[in-house]
Amino acid sequence: MSSMVDLLLRDREQMLARIRTGEPTAILRAMVLTIVGAMAVFGAALGSYRGGIQIAYAAVKLPLVLLGTAALSAPVLTAIGASLGRRVRMAEDLALVMSALAFGALVLAACTPLVLLGRAVDMSYHAMTLAMVGMFAFAGMCSLRMVVKALGLEGSRGGMPALATLCVVFALVGGQLSWALRPYLVRPRSPDIVFLREREGSLIDAVVQATSSARGIYGRDFAPVPE
Amino acid sequence: MTLSPALMNPAAPSGTTLVPIPIRAGLVFAAIAPVAAGALLFARSGHAAPLVVTPVVALGVAAITSPALYIALAATGGAPSPAVVARAVAMALAAFGIALAGLLLPTAFLSLSAVSPWTAVAVVSTALGAAALIALVRLGSELDLRGLAGRGVLVVWAMSAVGVAGRLWFDVLVEVMHVQHG
Repeated sequence: MSSMVDLLLRDREQMLARIRTGEPTAILRAMVLTIVGAMAVFGAALGSYRGGIQIAYAAVKLPLVLLGTAALSAPVLTAIGASLGRRVRMAEDLALVMSALAFGALVLAACTPLVLLGRAVDMSYHAMTLAMVGMFAFAGMCSLRMVVKALGLEGSRGGMPALATLCVVFALVGGQLSWALRPYLVRPRSPDIVFLREREGSLIDAVVQATSSARGIYGRDFAPVPE
Repeated sequence: MTLSPALMNPAAPSGTTLVPIPIRAGLVFAAIAPVAAGALLFARSGHAAPLVVTPVVALGVAAITSPALYIALAATGGAPSPAVVARAVAMALAAFGIALAGLLLPTAFLSLSAVSPWTAVAVVSTALGAAALIALVRLGSELDLRGLAGRGVLVVWAMSAVGVAGRLWFDVLVEVMHVQHG
């Protein structure tokens, strides 16, 4: 497995060739373990901002978010591609998506010292949140670049529209799943730590509600302001 | 979602070739996937109409309007043979079914995890619209129309078919959400 991770980090073109010609099941297994390990490390680092049991909570939840999103979204690449004239290759597509996500997870794991530095210099909660968003965006770009390269090498019809659909679906499902499993980053002074927040609707619901509020349309009679 | 083994076609050529969809398997998807999409709305609204109406709208509009496509293409001198047009329409329906089947899992997650039933409506409608768009792109590729007139006919036909289906779908949603909110 370590040789596969090393290959993923050093020579992604070779990795893509192995996905196309090799055994996708073995690659898939190695990539799932890589995602679990790398995201647990990054989650633990995020949890360390609050400390205590939140380290374990975030280390458990972040791998679940990524693996759950991949499981729900990856078939889209195969189905949309097949609809538009691309050859059906479900196992290879799944191995490709998981490899790209594993690469992104490793990039995040490499960002761990930055998270720990933020904690060490008492970076504010909001600055830390923005830094986290930036790290996830960068890791996501790295993953996306790998899939784009793979589909470019393949050169088949329907690959790029399928990828565009996958990106939209991935963003929506990932946003919703991470919303449902929050919090990951908790303020250091926060007295209570919960594994999951109470269900407050979906991310889309929250966006719709915020849009309505911005237009002066409120769904409740009072705002939760301090007395 | 799992694709039928019949869809696996490792012998198909790669590159920019349009890989054919096994029509029978694809049409099975086209029949089942809209029912599943309707079931998601049924789960959120308790109104059974989407279970029946969704496949009727999707398949019915295609069946009713596709002869008009052939007539218009033939009249403008750009029509392939009736058999080619029929095969292209069947292939587009199969593409619709497979695309919608692929979108069902994320659609189910997003609609069932949302609190507002309107979110479910928006998500299911978007999935159906995306699958329809993909089917139209596939139809264009299958027909491979060269002339400007033929392409224009296809665009006008596609806009009409989407408009009719969209209006029917909108009426269904109004009815379903009206019942939902009493």
